[in-house]
Amino acid sequence: MSTATIDSHAVGHHGDAHGHHHKETFITKYIFSTDHKMISKQYLITGIIMGCLGMGMSLLFRLQLAWPDETFPFLESLLGKWAKGGKLDPNYYMALVTIHGTIMVFYVLTAGLSGTFSNLLIPLQCGARDMASPFMNMLSYWFFFLSSVVLMSSFFVETGPASSGWTVYPPLSALSKAMPGSGVGTTLWLMAIVLFIVSALLGGINYITTVLNMRTKGMSMNRLPLTIWAFFLTAVLGLLSFPVLLGAGLLLIFDRSFGTSFYLSDIHLNGVGALTNSGGSPVLYQHLFWFLGHPEVYIILMPALGISSEVISTNARKPIFGYTAMIISLLGISFLSFIVWGHHMFITGMNPFLGTMFMYVTLIIAVPSAVKTFNYLATLWKGNIRFTPAMLFAIGLVSLFISGGLTGIYLGNAALDIQLHDSYFVVAHFHLVMGSASIFGMFAGIYHWFPKMYGRMMNKTLGSLHFWLTFISAYLVFFPMHFMGLAGVPRRYYQFSLIPEFGIWMDVNVLITVAAWLGGVAQLLFIYNFFYSIFKGPVASTNPWESNTLEWSTGLKHIHGNWEGDIPTVYRGPHEYSRPDRELDYFPQYEKGNGEPEHYHGPVTVADTSYDGKKEKASTVFFSSFAHLFALKRA
Amino acid sequence: MNTIFKKTLKFALALVVIFTAATLLTDSVDISDVSTVHLKAEKPWVGADEYAYDPGQADTPEKALASKINWTILIFVILMILVLANALDISKYTAKITGRETVNQNNVNKWVFLLFLILGFAGVIWEYINHGKLILLNDSSSEHGVAYDSMFSITLILTSIVFFITQFLLFIFSFLYSYDKNRKALYYAHNNRLEIIWTFIPAVVLTILVLRGHQTWKSVVYAEEYHKGKINTIEVFAYQFGWKARYAGQDGMLGVADYKFISGTNELGLAVKSEVDALLIELKEQIADDQKTIKNLNTTVLDGLMADYAAADGVKDYKSMESIQKEIDAVKNGDRLDELEESIERKQKQIERILAIQNDKKLFVSTFTPASMDDIIAQEIHIAKDSLVTFNFRSKDIIHSAWLPHFRAQMNVVPGMPTKFTFRPTKTTAEAKKEFGPEFEYYLYCNKICGVSHFNMKIKVVVESQAEVDAWLKTQQTPFTKKPEAAPIPAIMSDSTQMTNDTLKRVALR
Ligand code: HEM
Ligand SMILES: [Cu+2]
Ligand SMILES: [Cu+2]
Repeated sequence: MSTATIDSHAVGHHGDAHGHHHKETFITKYIFSTDHKMISKQYLITGIIMGCLGMGMSLLFRLQLAWPDETFPFLESLLGKWAKGGKLDPNYYMALVTIHGTIMVFYVLTAGLSGTFSNLLIPLQCGARDMASPFMNMLSYWFFFLSSVVLMSSFFVETGPASSGWTVYPPLSALSKAMPGSGVGTTLWLMAIVLFIVSALLGGINYITTVLNMRTKGMSMNRLPLTIWAFFLTAVLGLLSFPVLLGAGLLLIFDRSFGTSFYLSDIHLNGVGALTNSGGSPVLYQHLFWFLGHPEVYIILMPALGISSEVISTNARKPIFGYTAMIISLLGISFLSFIVWGHHMFITGMNPFLGTMFMYVTLIIAVPSAVKTFNYLATLWKGNIRFTPAMLFAIGLVSLFISGGLTGIYLGNAALDIQLHDSYFVVAHFHLVMGSASIFGMFAGIYHWFPKMYGRMMNKTLGSLHFWLTFISAYLVFFPMHFMGLAGVPRRYYQFSLIPEFGIWMDVNVLITVAAWLGGVAQLLFIYNFFYSIFKGPVASTNPWESNTLEWSTGLKHIHGNWEGDIPTVYRGPHEYSRPDRELDYFPQYEKGNGEPEHYHGPVTVADTSYDGKKEKASTVFFSSFAHLFALKRA
Repeated sequence: MNTIFKKTLKFALALVVIFTAATLLTDSVDISDVSTVHLKAEKPWVGADEYAYDPGQADTPEKALASKINWTILIFVILMILVLANALDISKYTAKITGRETVNQNNVNKWVFLLFLILGFAGVIWEYINHGKLILLNDSSSEHGVAYDSMFSITLILTSIVFFITQFLLFIFSFLYSYDKNRKALYYAHNNRLEIIWTFIPAVVLTILVLRGHQTWKSVVYAEEYHKGKINTIEVFAYQFGWKARYAGQDGMLGVADYKFISGTNELGLAVKSEVDALLIELKEQIADDQKTIKNLNTTVLDGLMADYAAADGVKDYKSMESIQKEIDAVKNGDRLDELEESIERKQKQIERILAIQNDKKLFVSTFTPASMDDIIAQEIHIAKDSLVTFNFRSKDIIHSAWLPHFRAQMNVVPGMPTKFTFRPTKTTAEAKKEFGPEFEYYLYCNKICGVSHFNMKIKVVVESQAEVDAWLKTQQTPFTKKPEAAPIPAIMSDSTQMTNDTLKRVALR
């Protein structure tokens, strides 16, 4: 295997391998592209579209919560029979909530976030000409695309989309007579998720392989930008946990369609009678689901944390504080995230002893999270902060991460969860820590790497405005929800006005909805700014943020293979900002300094596959990655 | 004027319009009207036992004030945004002139960070004070709730301290260290001692929290072990969309109940021989009916549907036409046949399973006991103050969750898996009314999404003296016996050891 560990001297010369360029047609360039930069843009645009849909849904169902007794005629023209007389049908309300959650979690913040930035940055920041397998990479996107189409198509079936919550717990989701959405809608939901998992696995294998195998000369693991570490560990989490969801989903499909009883037992359904299913356990599904579900929240969050590390370091003009501690924290979070899933199940009737164990490990996770927060603060301290829109969003992320993370300490405590489970407190918690924080990470990434993706700059003023509006809206929407939950308001309720006790929250519900719409309007600013700048934004310079990392060494023009000539060598870590021995306040990784060795010596893992994937078979690269896993330390 | 400025202005205008619209909108839904509007609205999914939205409660001056304050906040936010938009634009102009764009924008953002810090903290404190009053804390109606509340308070205090410190540092650093061309950031990559300290401190704090949490958790979930002695056991039965309570009758024992026995007259599926026999006959009749339908599916059944369709067509009843057409299609494409065959299979299986119990001597004897004959089925849950109560949960169909917020109690209700929750109520409904207002009632809410009426699935819980509970029980139905006259009904109870042995037996609840 030519990609095994090799002496770095041997791989200096490969530029001539890229002399030939294929003729590109519109289809190979924009649609079935195998270029990681194009795939990244495809992910981003799809993610943005899905994000708009997901947010739109939340705005619609928030209307119902704020004004349960008003009618909104425009709803009827929009949704037809699902909003007769301008009032949302309760089944459809549940469908909107479900698809909103599904879209946000999987389509926007898993595929849209990881897919975009892993694809863009892994090759560029590691110094590779493309992904290990560009073809698999393309497949990954198209599976995602197909999955999105299947999911959205469920809005056009007669019984409506899946509506048993984004967790689709059986038996509710397994029995089409239990609620309309559990019919064809759930079948489509499950199909969409299966396609999604295929996409996530194809992407994840690629990311891992590329990071392990295809780093350029000098790019040892401990010189990787934290973005790459985050994407790498995210991919590992996905690779290990998504198959379990696939298993859970397949068993659910069997239960739904082939008469098995993995999750079903002792059921007598209205209008049907006693079912034949016996001996299964609905709680089994919950174990399987949350075995993915918990790592999933870190799959969502870690890329955002990685991005903000990079953005904060660059714009504070300071090395990220405690680079090693940051990596150790990420590793700790990744490992622990596999053994805490039971904190979603404290009151399912599972053995209380298990609850105790899950409580212990869950609260341990708070430690690496706290370390990360303190390190961010220390990075800002005595910095020289440039408030680019990306930086604003990164700071916003830290704030939201703190606010949402702290409430995790309540929910991870089995005793406290007895009361808090499935209340609005939970909604507040996960929207802050996972929803808003990760969305902010995504925005930070978009503003920061927009010049890299489109060669133009986004408008800063609109960017700042977008940030402040979104930030204010996020807190106004989600902060009061804590108090509702603590006062005993349950989540997934279509309407609160039937229960007199909840009457006191009506005006808060109005405030939340208005703030949510304000946030929605703010996103229009972003949409406008984004699409306008793609075509008309001012042309960017090659390194607009005066950043250290490799992606800014390629020049503006996107070419297959990324670098015109040789891939640059890396001489130092990614965060050497404001070094006292330098006049400039940055020191690119690829710039050779005085007194530094000509080449980085020692064994580095380098795989120089050619950009079109011809030189190395994907399989070779893939398998050799395992060899490197064990050689990690040496790098 | 440059275009961005114009755009911003337009945007600001749009905001004002939206805001005005929103204000008008909410003015028209002055909360006090809601009740009447709501009652008039036709809602087929709402159960019969409706509780009207109470107008008296909606209109208190405090509430009106709270509402005003909310709106003031909103107006303030929007004004702030407009100012910000302008400030940022001015910076753009000066940038044009001076070429120092970063610095100017930076300054604006830096000040907004400071402003956000101050207003944000003010807002958070406002929330703590105003909405903090509304949360359930230190007013628990159960014994373990006191321990719960103290656990909660400790967590609240610790996390609030961390919250204020870290957010303060974040924003104040952003304010203090914003970009200055003449300054260079401090090159400071790590400090092992510092990092060890701030790994260690959270670790210690969390250890304290987790140990206390463990204590609290144990005292709640192993309540039976903690409190020896009599436990009153009540079965709480959940179904789409409601709750029923089952109390033991005179014998003090809850009889066996099983989903297989559920019928129109036996909603909870009690093991009552006469009911089960009737069910067997009914099932056999239904099977025969289904078989007959299958035989005539393509002849009389289809003809009948065609005739119905023609009739509907005659009066131009498009809605019925559509649904009849669907049925016709189902007959033609075989869906109806599949459905019928499936239904027959299901019923045969049910019969088989019932017979398996009836034909097994041992099972028969242990299932069809007199205990189920005198069980009481109620639409409310009445429990006695200061007695230890266990709710045994059973679901008829899908997962529900029984949440009693005032008692700090919650447990999922899972089909095929018995669950339970034990607690000691310490405050009667009458006492609670004194505290929370005359309209106050305890409720058990469903807190696991279970379908279309999930939001309206609750049952009233009444805490009173043991004597009152006993008196109330006498007025409740025992569907399968004539109520013995004047016979005293003892409290429903069993002892704890019996309980735990029994949880393994899925169907039997004594
Ligand atoms: C536009 C901003 C958003 C608003 C106003 C909003 C609002 C809501 C509301 C009101 C619910 C229903 C809560 C309930 O009754 O249980 C909900 C559910 C949910 N949201 Fe959001 N949300 C927003 C953005 C997000 C984002 C960015 C995420 C990303 C993680 C997200 C993920 C979820 C999930 C997972 C659920 C749960 C769905 C379920 O119960 O099955 N939301 N959202
Ligand atoms: Cu979790
Ligand atoms: Cu429910």
